[in-house]
Amino acid sequence: MLLTLDLNDPRPLHEQVSAAIKRAITTGDVTPGDRLPPARDLAAALGVNANTVLRSLRELRDEGLLEFRRGRGVSVLRRPDGRAALRTRVRDLLDEAAQYGVGPEDVLAIVKELMEESP
Amino acid sequence: MTHPHRTISDRGVRARFLLAAAVWTVLVAAVLVAVPLAFAGRLPDPLAGHWGPSGRPDRSMPSSALALAALVWVVVVGVCLVGMARVRGEIRRAARTWYAAGLGWLGGFLIGTQAVTVAANLDRDDWTRAASLNWQFAAVVAGAFALGALGWLAGRLGPDDAPREEGPPGPLIDLDPRKRPVWVSTATAPWAVALGVVAFAVALSFAVAALWGLVPAGWATALPLALAGVIGLAVSSVSVRIASEGLTMAFGPLRWPSRTVGLDRIERAWMERRSPLQVGGWGIRGLPGMATIMIRGGECLVVRYTSGGQLAISVDDAETGAALLNALAARKAA
Repeated sequence: MLLTLDLNDPRPLHEQVSAAIKRAITTGDVTPGDRLPPARDLAAALGVNANTVLRSLRELRDEGLLEFRRGRGVSVLRRPDGRAALRTRVRDLLDEAAQYGVGPEDVLAIVKELMEESP
Repeated sequence: MTHPHRTISDRGVRARFLLAAAVWTVLVAAVLVAVPLAFAGRLPDPLAGHWGPSGRPDRSMPSSALALAALVWVVVVGVCLVGMARVRGEIRRAARTWYAAGLGWLGGFLIGTQAVTVAANLDRDDWTRAASLNWQFAAVVAGAFALGALGWLAGRLGPDDAPREEGPPGPLIDLDPRKRPVWVSTATAPWAVALGVVAFAVALSFAVAALWGLVPAGWATALPLALAGVIGLAVSSVSVRIASEGLTMAFGPLRWPSRTVGLDRIERAWMERRSPLQVGGWGIRGLPGMATIMIRGGECLVVRYTSGGQLAISVDDAETGAALLNALAARKAA
C-alpha cells in the first residue's frame, strides 16, 4: 500500500494519516475488499505512534470506508463518494496552489473562469 | 514477461531432470516390489521387523508389510514429481538439488532397510531366530546419505537458475519533493503461525514436566521444539517497507529481527511470481546473494543490489513497491 505524507501539512497527525489512507483508497491503490497492512506496520512506516494510526482507522471506519473484522484485520469497504473524494483532491490542489503563491481566492477565480469558458 | 536469454537447452534440463527422476522412481519401486516377491518362499511369516538395542529381533510384522515400503515410495515421490511437473518454466537449480538429494536419500534408505530385513530373515523358520543386526543399520543410513549426496551432485548438473535476467523496468512513480512517500506491505502464512505456536506450547509442556520431574529427559525435547517454534514464527510473516531510508524487512509477529538495505545499495527492483516449489521450499531459501524469502507462493518483490546480488521477498502488491523503490533509487543516484 502506497501512502504519501505531506511534509508541510499543518493539520494534526491523525488527520494527515486519515488523509493519506483516504488518498490511497480514492486513487484506487487499494480497492474494496483489500486488506490494509496491520496498524503497527503502518505506524512504523509513517513514523507515528500506533495509537495515532488506530485513531485514523477508526475515523475512516466511522465514515464507512473501512471495515474492522476480528481476526482478519482492517479491510477497505468502499471508495469515498464523489464529494468526499473531491474534497481530498481539492485540498491537494489548494496545497499545490499555495506552493506557487496562489491563494484559495485565486483558485476559486480560476474555477469560475473555467466555468464561464465551458457553458 | 519474456526471457530472451532462455535457450532450448534450459528446457532440456527440465525435461532431462523430470525423466531421470521418473526413471529412478520406477527403478526403486521395482526393486522394492521384486525383492520380497523373489524371496517370498524363503521368508518366515510373520518376519522380524524390529531389532532392539541389543541387536536381537524384538518385534515381528506380517510379511506383506514389506510391500508398504513400495507404497510409501510411490506416494511420496509421486506427489513431488507431479508438483514439479506443474511448475511452469524452468526448475531452479536449488529446487533440483534438494529434490534429487531427497529422492536419492529416501530411495537408498527404503531399499537398504528392506535388504537388511530380508537378509536377516532369509531361510529362518521363525522370526525370533532372525539374525542380530547392529552395524547394518548404520551402514544403511550411511548408504542412504551417500545416495542423497550423489542425488545432490546430479541435481546440480545443468545451468543455474534461468531468471538471471534484468527484470522488466516497472513504471516509475512521480516523486513530489514536498511529500514523503512510503510503501508498506505484508505477507503472512497462517499455518506457519499455528505450527510455531503449537511447537512452543508442546515445548512449554515438556519444560514444565521436566521441572516437576515427570519426564526424565524433558529438556532434550523442549529445547529443539522451542527452537523450531522460534524459526517457524520468524518465517510466518514479513512486513516490508520502502521509504526514503531504503528497504526495510521485519520478520515474525514481533517484527523482529528486522533489516534495512540503504537506497544506495539498490540497483533496481521488479515483481516476479515465484512458488515454493521453484525455490526449494518455504523460509529463507538459496544462498546469500541469490536468496528468496518465501512466506507464500505468488508475487515477490525482487531487488538487485549494486554488488550484483539479488534478494526476493514474497509480499503482496510488489509491483507498486518495486516502482517506488526504483523511483527513490533513481532520485538518490541523481
